Amino acid sequence: MNLLIGIGNSGRSDDGLGWAFLDRIQHEARFPGDIEYRYQLQVEDAELISRTEHVIFVDSYRGELSDGFQFEPCHASRDTEFTSHVLPPGAILHLCSELYGKSPRADQLLIQGSSWELRTGLSAEAKTRLDRALTFFRTELPF
Amino acid sequence: MSTTRRKITIDPVTRVEGHGRVTVQLDEAGKVERARFHIVEFRGFERFIQGHPYWEAPLLVQRLCGICPVSHHLAAAKAIDQIYGVDPEDLHPTATKIRRLLHFAQLFQSHALHFFYLASPDLLFGMDAPVEKRSVGAVAMEHGDLARKGIQMRQFGQELIKALAGKKIHGITAVPGGVHKTFHPEERDYFLADNETPSIDTMIQWSQEVVAFIKDYHDTHFRWLDSFASYPSGHLGLVSKEGALELYDGRMRAIDSHGNVTLNDVHSDNYLKYFGEGVEKWSYMKFPFLRHLGRQHGWNRVGPLARLNVCDSISTPLANAELQEFKAYTNGRPNNHTMHSHWARLIEILHCAEQIKILLNEPDILAEVERPPVNRRPEGIGIIEAPRGTLIHHYKADEKGSITKCNLIVSTTHNNEPMNQAVQWVAKNVLDGQKEITDGMLNQVEVAIRAYDPCLSCATHAMGQMPLKLTVFNVAGDVVAEHVKNSA
Repeated sequence: MNLLIGIGNSGRSDDGLGWAFLDRIQHEARFPGDIEYRYQLQVEDAELISRTEHVIFVDSYRGELSDGFQFEPCHASRDTEFTSHVLPPGAILHLCSELYGKSPRADQLLIQGSSWELRTGLSAEAKTRLDRALTFFRTELPF
Repeated sequence: MSTTRRKITIDPVTRVEGHGRVTVQLDEAGKVERARFHIVEFRGFERFIQGHPYWEAPLLVQRLCGICPVSHHLAAAKAIDQIYGVDPEDLHPTATKIRRLLHFAQLFQSHALHFFYLASPDLLFGMDAPVEKRSVGAVAMEHGDLARKGIQMRQFGQELIKALAGKKIHGITAVPGGVHKTFHPEERDYFLADNETPSIDTMIQWSQEVVAFIKDYHDTHFRWLDSFASYPSGHLGLVSKEGALELYDGRMRAIDSHGNVTLNDVHSDNYLKYFGEGVEKWSYMKFPFLRHLGRQHGWNRVGPLARLNVCDSISTPLANAELQEFKAYTNGRPNNHTMHSHWARLIEILHCAEQIKILLNEPDILAEVERPPVNRRPEGIGIIEAPRGTLIHHYKADEKGSITKCNLIVSTTHNNEPMNQAVQWVAKNVLDGQKEITDGMLNQVEVAIRAYDPCLSCATHAMGQMPLKLTVFNVAGDVVAEHVKNSA
């Protein structure tokens, strides 16, 4: 099973990039797997991920990315300092390995955001970057 | 020994929901002058819901929280039912069962979250454990079986909420005078059988195991658990007509630290007559108290420990047996041991699992529900027992149906004074007079607060009842601007 997890909050402008990406993918109905929306990753997502072959985390990014987005492998990280409130993908993959003995293929797609205010809807720049990331996803990945 | 006054700040307090900080003021000799738990979040829900249609309240106010939205959804729904024209006893029986099922699922997942994710590191690794051990990640690595069960127990509750409300967080179940949907047979059957999510029978078995775990733990750590942050207090919770633990719809009962009844099974309509709310300039969280006992003596603990103290019995057999053993430990007197909150919470987990099984096997949770015709009233009050304690929602609406007034007394708000008492206990018994304040000592302050499972986001919903002070400092620490918004 493939799994696409969008992380963010559509009420915080470009923090909703992860969810907006999932909305578009879901609308196209071509992704062969499950889609999950998250405000933030939870400890129990380790169990969910343990049942997948390939998981992709999609999230907004506050820094600069040369193409406006970045796709990269994601690795389990024991050293990551985490709390139960903010769990990065690496920490979830580590818990997945520790608790369930599973290490599915994992990648993350980061999309650069510009606006983080209390507002529904993406900024114009974020919309452009979202389109670029979607084009990459459709053409370069085997889904 | 230090020769200057010192101020210790813990900011933020960790492994709680929301943001708060603790300050401890020490004198020249290192003696504690003052210890306070400050809530520094600011929300404003009571004000900005005004003007919205009354039927929107259960949808809007649940946004107070991402952990216990169901509790706010249901408390608001009970209040809005009354504005619609339906009292709790007149709600369609199927609607009541669906709402109760949702409520027990919420309590089950929230209690699991607190015990396994937030509290267990303190119990398993000790209060002096290094920082890297103080997380559920460390529990997962060293106590994998416990962590796996904790994860799946929380998941069970979350999946049941999703099946009833459409989403795990901020879904919709209750509508004025009824419910949005009931169960389909296949939805119900999913929770009765072992699937990706284990069955309700497995949940009951695991709940029994975790109660056994805390009792074993107590057997070997009773000196700490019986003394740490223990202090006399009042206790408040809902009970049924028979005096049994009641989590969804009951009468309010309070007792003092000796077991004397201070609030005798009163109906929710009368809460304003009995409760006042104090404010302090150093916190955005209010301080509720029983009016006839006053601000100094009328405060009560709420939550699992308080609930088990005020009730006489539990309606489900396994949890009731555990309750009687729990009460026997203090010879039937009120249990004022703060750390026994964890024990009480796990007995409630077992009760919720038993209740969920009973309700899942009720045939009429599959029935259709028709709402009664609207018969508008000007106001409604809804009170339930949320995971963290007694939760009060009160709304008034004008003739057009717009909300004109909202008052929320949230569980954690009742526990404001108790948490401050707990902080002062640790300050006086652990920090007082110490030459060196270690990280482990400071963690003990957090352990005492954490026992209450506070949800600080929920508890800071008020606006207009306390001054809001904005101070701007320059890099040298000088005040360059100050703005004060006084009480409305």
